[in-house]
Amino acid sequence: MNAPIIDPLQGDFPEVIEEYLEHGVMKCIAFNRRGTLLAAGCADGSCIIWDFETRGIAKELHDKDCVAAITSVCWSKDGHCILVSAADKSLTLWDVVSGEKITRTTLQQTPLQARLHPGSAKSLCLACPLSSAPMIVDLNTGSTTVLPVSVSDTGAGLPPPSRNKFSDGSPPFTPTAACFNKYGDLVYVGNSKGEILIVDHKNKQVRAVVPISGGSVIKNIVFSRNGQYLLTNSNDRTIRIYENLLPLKDGLKVLDELSTSCDEVDEAEKLKAVGSKCLALFREFQDSITKIHWKVPCFSGDGEWVVGGSASKGEHKIYIWDRAGHLVKILEGPKEALIDLAWHPVHPIVVSVSLTGLVYIWAKDYTENWSAFAPDFKELEENEEYIEREDEFDLMPETEKVKDTDVNEDDEVDIMTVENESVFSDSDMSQEELCFLPAVPCPDVPEQQDKCVGSTSKLTDSNHSGSPLSEEAGQNGQAMNHASSPVEGNIILF
Amino acid sequence: MASGGGGSNPLPYRPYRLLRTLAAHDRAVSCVKFSSDGTLLASASLDKTLIVWSSQTLTLKSRLVGHSGGISDLAWSSDSHYICSASDDLTLRIWDAQSAECVKTLRGHTDLVFCVNFNPQSNLIVSGSFDETVKIWDAKTGRPLHTIAAHSMPVTSVHFNRDGSLIVSGSHDGSCKIWASDTGALLKTLIEVNGPAISFAKFSPNGKYILVATLDDTLKLWNYSTGKSLKIYTGHVNKVYCIASAFSVTYGKYIVSGSEDNCVYVWDLQGKNPLQKLEGHTDTVISVSCHPNENKIASAGLDGDRTVRIWVQDT
Repeated sequence: MNAPIIDPLQGDFPEVIEEYLEHGVMKCIAFNRRGTLLAAGCADGSCIIWDFETRGIAKELHDKDCVAAITSVCWSKDGHCILVSAADKSLTLWDVVSGEKITRTTLQQTPLQARLHPGSAKSLCLACPLSSAPMIVDLNTGSTTVLPVSVSDTGAGLPPPSRNKFSDGSPPFTPTAACFNKYGDLVYVGNSKGEILIVDHKNKQVRAVVPISGGSVIKNIVFSRNGQYLLTNSNDRTIRIYENLLPLKDGLKVLDELSTSCDEVDEAEKLKAVGSKCLALFREFQDSITKIHWKVPCFSGDGEWVVGGSASKGEHKIYIWDRAGHLVKILEGPKEALIDLAWHPVHPIVVSVSLTGLVYIWAKDYTENWSAFAPDFKELEENEEYIEREDEFDLMPETEKVKDTDVNEDDEVDIMTVENESVFSDSDMSQEELCFLPAVPCPDVPEQQDKCVGSTSKLTDSNHSGSPLSEEAGQNGQAMNHASSPVEGNIILF
Repeated sequence: MASGGGGSNPLPYRPYRLLRTLAAHDRAVSCVKFSSDGTLLASASLDKTLIVWSSQTLTLKSRLVGHSGGISDLAWSSDSHYICSASDDLTLRIWDAQSAECVKTLRGHTDLVFCVNFNPQSNLIVSGSFDETVKIWDAKTGRPLHTIAAHSMPVTSVHFNRDGSLIVSGSHDGSCKIWASDTGALLKTLIEVNGPAISFAKFSPNGKYILVATLDDTLKLWNYSTGKSLKIYTGHVNKVYCIASAFSVTYGKYIVSGSEDNCVYVWDLQGKNPLQKLEGHTDTVISVSCHPNENKIASAGLDGDRTVRIWVQDT
């Protein structure tokens, strides 16, 4: 809506820490689809939902069953549910508005990552456990379907032969990365042999294979929001971007066609031939000097930027590249190792989590836009030669300011029609999307009372966000006062 | 949702007539607003109280008492549960409209608070004051998130746009400015400081245009992206007071405003011609509000009148 008057000259990526959020020890974060709410999973098993506009806590999801540290958080597409995976091998689906648990299942192993199927059903999810193959879990029945991670698999989840084996002969399994494509009909798996497998999860079949040169273990695999680019992060310290050549919907149909039209007899070669038509390597990113192991790489909301984090030697660094591969920025935070990262779906804002449990918000460094101060002021990118008219500076006795006559005052003005924002035009949901949680004003405590009115929260930290680089001392002062009067802020009225 | 395709307003104008006069305030009524769902009507007065009326039966439901100074403006939250009032006692108060209790008091301004509005998500409140600043508050905790040194004279009007990303502010210093609600940064100066004092400014329902009232008897509709004024509405009297105006979109598209000649004026939005003058108030009509779903207008009169009047269309 405000796009026409925002200055397009400044680059669209964050530059400095604007603020940090503190509440317990947060471990992983996820934005909802519009970026109005930020969910953070904590070490104590609860999940905090922050209202990103006010930087205050909108809701806390917790109950007595959830006490183990959260390993990942995922929003449903319509924003009504959150899927949380925890260190006690459980997956919990929460209803955001009511704050109630919908369902909970326990797996055989701790899932490091759990992603809800992008469809509207909200019953299927993809879980990547600590050391076994990724699986599709039906949250309602608890049944799990293990996905094949290698071409030799028949779908029974047999581990591939590996160089090192445990003393009892069972092969160790490195965590395999996996993600849904945009509409969830396919799962892209990155295995320990450095291959990307395109899997039809309904039939547990590998439909295509894309080997990565060097064959090193794939640690992360993630799609851009528009489903057109795929990113892999491998043990060889390289991030690779692939262009998705399959159509966003009907990918299976195209795979069928490619398969039948392929002449290869050998099954493995056939899959590779099909794979070469599904993904095309676009760019590779690595830091050739320091050879950093990248953590949590992902795309920006519009897919224009790629961001990767580094926690080597306990640092908190965020690298930003444009999609063409140029490094545009390195953001350096305090000496607290970075453990999670997310780019805001719409704004040029990055949120990172440090080992100490704080969430840092990185945003553009706001500079005064001089053209905002006068209505007819225009900013120039560079000096322009101006050649004035012959009589421009002459004083004329009857000069009257000529009114702009280029506006036809009889034209119709439409004050009602709203244009759909193109960013969210891929909405195909029947249920109304949840964009924000209603803000219930917390009642003031009468000033005369000395003791605290009973706080229902077991956490001692009150809801407080601080701005270490804030220019507004008044605001900072308020935040400080806030911390010393723990009654406000943590009382949830729902 | 767009108004008729070709040329002029296809709907013939149906005049409004007085339905009821509500007299319950002891001093001038400064503001009147229908709730977002249309079930309630709130009025604010210099007698330091607000009254919540049922908009169906037009009976008094509750009186909100607590301010120690006259109230200049009020705003409803989007779920029609909360009312925020701006008062001469330097504070804003958030009231629960159902229970009639004051839930929160927002302190921070150093002079009379003159105007207030919720954002559509109702997690933020914006206020403008005689201390020349615009403040953005967190509605839940009451914390002031941003204090903007917005103008060089009292701020007379503040309003959020449709998605809550922008705030427009108008001031006696003659300038109308647009701010980003997340950072408090100035995005555009729509009208420069040279001109007549701005008494009121608000966004159109789709957030593309801004209706600005100036103390030279003029109302203008601006396209803020191009910075051009598209329509001018005149015929009323507005030289002294900050008279609130409104868009009426439930029947045809009209601009409704109060006036210092004690009447409510209705103009055709496209044709700019005055369609009706509603007479009845005995003092300046300071505020008007259009019902969100029905063809109903509420208006408020100053000290010589002290009433809220409800106008409906002839059937």
